[in-house]
Amino acid sequence: MTRPTKLAAAALALLAALCLPLGLDHQGYAIRVATLVFLFGAMAQSWNVVGGLANQMSLGHAAFFGIGAYTSTLLLIHAGLSPWLGMLAGGVLGGLAAALISLPTMRLSGHYFALATLAFGEVMRVVANSWAGLTGGPVGLSVPFAPDSLALFNFKSTVPHYYIALAALCLVTAIFVWIRNSALGYRLRAVRENVDAAEVVGVDTARTKLVAAVISGVLMAMTGTLYAQLNFFFDPDTVFGAAPISIRVALIAIVGGVGTAIGPIVGALVIIPLEEAANLFLSSQVAGLSGFAYGLILIAVILVQPHGLAAIGRRFQRKSKGAS
Amino acid sequence: MSADLLVVSGLAAGYDRADVLHGVSLAVGPGEFVCVIGANTAGKSTLLRTISRLVPRSSGAIAFDGHDLMRLPAHRVPALGIAHVPEGRHVFFDMSVEDNLLTGAFSRRQDPEIPARMEEIFALFPRLRERRAQRAGSMSGGEQQMVAVGRALMLKPRLLMLDEPSHGLAPMVVEELHAALVKIHAGGTAILLVEQNTQLALSVATRGIVLESGRVALEGSAAALREDPRVREAYLGL
Repeated sequence: MTRPTKLAAAALALLAALCLPLGLDHQGYAIRVATLVFLFGAMAQSWNVVGGLANQMSLGHAAFFGIGAYTSTLLLIHAGLSPWLGMLAGGVLGGLAAALISLPTMRLSGHYFALATLAFGEVMRVVANSWAGLTGGPVGLSVPFAPDSLALFNFKSTVPHYYIALAALCLVTAIFVWIRNSALGYRLRAVRENVDAAEVVGVDTARTKLVAAVISGVLMAMTGTLYAQLNFFFDPDTVFGAAPISIRVALIAIVGGVGTAIGPIVGALVIIPLEEAANLFLSSQVAGLSGFAYGLILIAVILVQPHGLAAIGRRFQRKSKGAS
Repeated sequence: MSADLLVVSGLAAGYDRADVLHGVSLAVGPGEFVCVIGANTAGKSTLLRTISRLVPRSSGAIAFDGHDLMRLPAHRVPALGIAHVPEGRHVFFDMSVEDNLLTGAFSRRQDPEIPARMEEIFALFPRLRERRAQRAGSMSGGEQQMVAVGRALMLKPRLLMLDEPSHGLAPMVVEELHAALVKIHAGGTAILLVEQNTQLALSVATRGIVLESGRVALEGSAAALREDPRVREAYLGL
């Protein structure tokens, strides 16, 4: 697709997304799923900065997500601070945590990087479970109810959350595209392909990786606040969990198409409804069947489309170009 | 020679405490064309990689134009005017030819002469001009080597270091590449060439250094080395 057609398609999709709640029950299940699609799309897009542009397979992004959720919620409970401001504080802490984990792991690559980050996420989960004085421990935290208020990020209806998640997805995607086309994006591509070759042309590879990790950590932490406000309740195993967060966001980006702007969006559009459908229709049948079916579909997608679903579009383009 | 561009003295370096270089000393003057020859594992690549600061040294010194290279991290070396074409080419596969060349100018990215410099490189390797928009990873080995050399030249280096540029290339491409090196040298750039093809290296360089087991075994003008019985027997197979 050319640039104008791409922009037109994006504008059309955005318009459709803006109109969608008009046809849905404001408290219903469908709008909640749609909100989760956007939220997880934004999370996968944050991951994409490190996982796609730097090609470092992080399996520990739950660490930043959980830090964001806990920071804004604790500040709200103990200091009455608006979650909007708490989200900024969470972003700062998430960025710091990303820098902290990036420094010792940046020399690692491939499986070793994945394992180190996975361990970091798990450590954060264990800490959140045991440091009950601060986090409430395994019992989890409830976001205090308040009357509907934009300033306090508190809504009874799902519709405002839907629009906030949509805005987050657009914003993170815009940041991703901007980074990819900036000088930092080129440095990251050089680092991703060959660290030595990047160094001998003058790229500070350590700093490049650090900057990408911090941006990714900040964005991921901020989505944690959105999740806390949407859900009203969370515990260490949900927000710091490897399977529900870390692996899931990596999976969404991979199934959609790693390193592409559209990939995490496509991935979230496929995976989140698929999970919901599997739970809805199969969990009442045989125990474990929903997880089994879900896993089978994912394996099939990755076997058929190893470069992600976004690559299907590219293949059609190439075919039509070859025919003309 | 007091006006030497690159001075390596007593250099020991290697990987994980196992040194590959054991006290190498050499010098390259401004605009000089020096080749380093020797068998596999003699330490030729390690020498270049140590100068580029990709490999840590255990002792010795490297000075470039009066600067102590040991004080710099690898990514600061190019700004001094040292360009390194690593072994195995290592172009950025995912980038176009043009973008690959532009990364070479990364250390002087404010320089308004960059487009003119790219024209000079296209004049040297006309095939790169034809393929400027092509993805570097889809090119032949010879073309990728031209991209790698072109990328290094974008720095407008005072010293160009090449690691086995002819490795794995067809003889005609190798000739083309060496003709380009002669032109680059004629333009005033000093060259430090590591090459397994001894015959070829000694035919283009003006001076040669023979490395054996991490030590300088012989040193002299290329013409003298070509006639040296030890070189003829060990490396030229004559």
